[in-house]
Amino acid sequence: MSRQAQSRPQPTTRRPADSEGQDEICPVCKSSRYLTPTLRFLINPECYHKFCESCVDRIFSHGPAPCPIPGCHKTLRKHKFRTPTFSDLQVEREVDIRKKVGAVFNRREEEFEDLRAYNDYLNEVEDITFNLINKLEVEETEKRFKAYQRAHEREITENASLAEQERASFAALQKEEREQARSRREAARREDAEEKRQLEENRRDVLNRLASGQDAESVAKAGQQVHLKKRMDRAAAAERQRQLQAASASNGSGNVVIKGLRAKQKQEPEASVDPFGGLSFEGRKYYALQDDYVWAGVQETKADVLIGAGGYDVGAFTGRALCEAFAGLGVFVGDEMDERDREKMGKENDEMATKGAEVAATKGGNAAKGKVKDVKMEDPF
Amino acid sequence: MKFWIEDLPVLFPYPRIYPEQYAYMCDLKRTLDAGGHCVLEMPSGTGKTVSLLSLIVAYQQHYPEHRKLIYCSRTMSEIEKALAELKALMKYRTDQLGQEEEFRGLGLTSRKNLCLHPSVKREKSGSVVDARCRSLTAGFVKEKKERGEDVDLCIYHDNLDLLEPHNLIPPGVWTLDGMLRYGEQQKQCPYFTARRMMPFCNVIIYSYHYLLDPKIAERVSKELSKDCIVVFDEAHNIDNVCIESLSIDLTEDSLRKAARGANNLEKKISEMKSTDADKLQSEYAKLVEGLREADTARDEEAFVSNPALPDDLLKEAVPGNIRRAEHFTAFLKRFIEYLKTRMKVLHVISETPPSFLQHLKELTFIEKKPLRFCAERLTSLVRTLELTNIEDFQPLQEVASFATLVATYDTGFLLILEPFESDTATVPNPIMHFTCLDAAIAIKPVFDRFSSVIITSGTISPLEMYPNLLGFTTVVEESYAMTLARRSFLPMIVTRGSDQGQISSGFQTRNDPANVRNYGNLLIEFSKLTPDGIVVFFPSYLYMESVISMWQGMGILDQVWKSKLILVETPDSQETSLALETYRTACSNGRGAMLLCVARGKVSEGIDFDHHYGRTVLCIGVPFQYTESRILKARLEFLEDKYKIRPNDFLSFDAMRHSAQCLGRVLRGKDDYGIMVMADKRFGKKRNQLPKWISSALMESDANMSVDQAVASAKRFLKTMSKPFPANLQEGVSTWSYEDLMEHKRKLEAEQIREEKNGEVNGNMNGHVHGDQVMAEAQAAEEDMEDSDLDAAMMEIDA
Repeated sequence: MSRQAQSRPQPTTRRPADSEGQDEICPVCKSSRYLTPTLRFLINPECYHKFCESCVDRIFSHGPAPCPIPGCHKTLRKHKFRTPTFSDLQVEREVDIRKKVGAVFNRREEEFEDLRAYNDYLNEVEDITFNLINKLEVEETEKRFKAYQRAHEREITENASLAEQERASFAALQKEEREQARSRREAARREDAEEKRQLEENRRDVLNRLASGQDAESVAKAGQQVHLKKRMDRAAAAERQRQLQAASASNGSGNVVIKGLRAKQKQEPEASVDPFGGLSFEGRKYYALQDDYVWAGVQETKADVLIGAGGYDVGAFTGRALCEAFAGLGVFVGDEMDERDREKMGKENDEMATKGAEVAATKGGNAAKGKVKDVKMEDPF
Repeated sequence: MKFWIEDLPVLFPYPRIYPEQYAYMCDLKRTLDAGGHCVLEMPSGTGKTVSLLSLIVAYQQHYPEHRKLIYCSRTMSEIEKALAELKALMKYRTDQLGQEEEFRGLGLTSRKNLCLHPSVKREKSGSVVDARCRSLTAGFVKEKKERGEDVDLCIYHDNLDLLEPHNLIPPGVWTLDGMLRYGEQQKQCPYFTARRMMPFCNVIIYSYHYLLDPKIAERVSKELSKDCIVVFDEAHNIDNVCIESLSIDLTEDSLRKAARGANNLEKKISEMKSTDADKLQSEYAKLVEGLREADTARDEEAFVSNPALPDDLLKEAVPGNIRRAEHFTAFLKRFIEYLKTRMKVLHVISETPPSFLQHLKELTFIEKKPLRFCAERLTSLVRTLELTNIEDFQPLQEVASFATLVATYDTGFLLILEPFESDTATVPNPIMHFTCLDAAIAIKPVFDRFSSVIITSGTISPLEMYPNLLGFTTVVEESYAMTLARRSFLPMIVTRGSDQGQISSGFQTRNDPANVRNYGNLLIEFSKLTPDGIVVFFPSYLYMESVISMWQGMGILDQVWKSKLILVETPDSQETSLALETYRTACSNGRGAMLLCVARGKVSEGIDFDHHYGRTVLCIGVPFQYTESRILKARLEFLEDKYKIRPNDFLSFDAMRHSAQCLGRVLRGKDDYGIMVMADKRFGKKRNQLPKWISSALMESDANMSVDQAVASAKRFLKTMSKPFPANLQEGVSTWSYEDLMEHKRKLEAEQIREEKNGEVNGNMNGHVHGDQVMAEAQAAEEDMEDSDLDAAMMEIDA
């Protein structure tokens, strides 16, 4: 102990940080901590000037009043006064501003795909905060701030709730861990006691048997063996316990969410919309679509402003007309008949094989047939 | 002498070798071949260092890989001793081989010990020397000079640049003194010579901290290759060194200084903004790119480096919100202010890093991630600002490394805030301990990086505790007994006083007058019978003070005074060294002296009481740690949770290693003799925790004595010791000449062949010589010879 005391520097004054002169004196009533040891200071987040409690009561009890510090013309209300957390009021103010900024700029690391972007975001947020704290370019910063808030309203609330959840789960985890540690220690203590008790019991047992007049040597040997066996059992149990714990520990670490950047997903290029499910009407083997046709109907329609204004395109009409005209050419009836026959055979086989699955089979068969038909439809030209 | 271990020719600089030295070398070679770690315990005073060095040097020179040796020791004097041994060894090798080998051996110590600059070296404090040296040698100072500005430079350092970078000093072994002389001659800086030559050395000898303390290790030891052989000598306290290197204590005072440092930084930044904004901008740009300072040339002047950090973190870019210098200082100020607020709490708090971080985040919106980069960011900033008066920023740096550690490790650390010095104090003097509980964290990089780590000491029992505590696996764990031609030390456990009352320094009985009187009687008796010096160890300063005052009241000291001069160790190191000096003078003249000291003090570690400086060591009480300390309690809890080491086991292990250290102080060689008295009834049960060489010499009959019996036994022992004992009686028993060694080898081989014939030996056991085997054999030989030889010697004398 004395060595410990040696290594520790002696306190020169009680609270050196606070005793730097005016910190301890109320600027309004000039009462100092030296004379009133119960002195408490309060601040108002409007201007961060601090007054003693009794001054606050005196000045602001009758409603809002201007700050009594000369030069500060802010109007303060009593209910806004609170005890400062930090002794450095600059930091107090900074933290309040951070609270405000942090509530809005709460994007999480998981939302970013690369570190650089995240760091840039952090940098930007810090810039805004810094400007607000040091009152640089206040208006512009405020504008940026507001703009961001408006733009990301939904994400902000979402992230806020996420953070809340996280906090709750962290607290729960902590509690659980403490509980576990406690129970482990308890178990160890119990085990120790048990061990001691058994040892004692064993000894008593040996003594009893000796007293009852058994052969001393064999009794001693038997006692030792029992003792040895018990110890081995305990060792094995301890080993099992350890393994169990190791296993649970590894499980435990599995639950822990590893925070970090969002996993990088290669965005697949979005497939273009295909309303016909893979059927292609573009394979125009048998005809070519022209831009223009020399036919009065087409020409007139094209020239009519009224029709064009509605968004009607003559091309759609000509294309469709041609498509319909050549539609039958890609279908070979003979081949298709053969195909159908083969299918029927297959279906019959199925039926023979499993009667129980008949319904399913027919259903499946129907579906299959439908599909086959679809497939057949492919490339009709 | 020259002999072979398997295929390795070993040159041993003495004509005779001890059996345990041979066994030690065999095991060492086995470890190196296997490429693993080992724990070896060899009795103090049996030439551990020289056998280690001669085997490893032989190994280096014989095999083509030329693995480098990093030899870490604890104190300056041990480093010097090792260097001197190495020098003698290399001289012998040169003589034997007839040619000088291309070999470099260097020692490294702090700037304070190696500085040659006429004004800097006059500074007393090490940190001042460091700071002044940096201001004269830093890279940017030199740049300024080249730009033509008027700045001072260190001529010794500049001269180094004129030399070839890989040949700053000629081959050979350089002791620290030798380096200083050479440096003075050639006008070159010995410190930087040693630092820069480290990659080109065969052997480096320095203190633990250069490898274990992560703040230094990264700078000094990072170029060492993976196949280096790392030796930790006197490593019985290594776990505490590890823990200390990662623990940080913060006080209100240091926080205030840190806040001042942050303000100064801010000022410097605004100054720089007005004069040289480009520099800050370029630093910012670098940080944006996530580039790390690749400038290795500057590294040796670096101000701080990071505490042990995982590699992946080191490669990451600094988070965006502390990228700008002014943001970072604001960040630091906020953090310091938060710590100050925490300090105001008037009850004890102990919390884990995660809960600390949670609270920090709630109060100040400081996230974990920027906190983690705090130390690195500060280093970078200090470098950019080209600050030279770095000692002003020491507290700030401490806070920054605290921040980094607290954000990096979730487990293995604990924050303990003690607002009062003691339970009874009413004036708060808060201190925040950030304690590392897990010794494995600091040493892990060493085990990860180097394939062979050898941990050795005179007292490192129980061996299996260390791998467990430090988190590594061994290929060899061995403890050697001491072969002696006669019983030259007498360990005794005294459990009862002359009134048959039990003696103990246990909490309930420690101030019991009967108990103290019994201890006093023990002291009087031994002061009467011991020639020359007696060393007495107490468990703590507090207990020592109270016992001494009680003895004074009982008139015990007056009686001791009749036969010995009494000297006392104090926490003050100046006073203690004066006492030590007086003690030595008194031992060399007249009736001798008695030194009362503390088992965990300065005297118990590293000061030898060889020969007449110590004939008796008295251990009064078992030196348990102060168990009410919150830090210790936390550590015990952690050990139980993580390593399944029971608190009582650990406490007893720790107490026994310290008492073994104390006992080992008096026996420093085979020609030395001494009495070791353990005076506490609790020692009876802890016998098996003593090092093997002590416990094997402790006879059953000596393990439970009263004061009277102990006195009688000690008298008998001293009588035998007072007979002359010519050195030739030791030959072949506790010292082997070459022939004895060959004889031993032949016997061993014959044994092996016999065993192989019996087919009982499994394949990998017969490949090597086992330490135990050697010992047992030597012991047997000793018993054979002792009687006849002794008789013969006696007859000679009689005639």
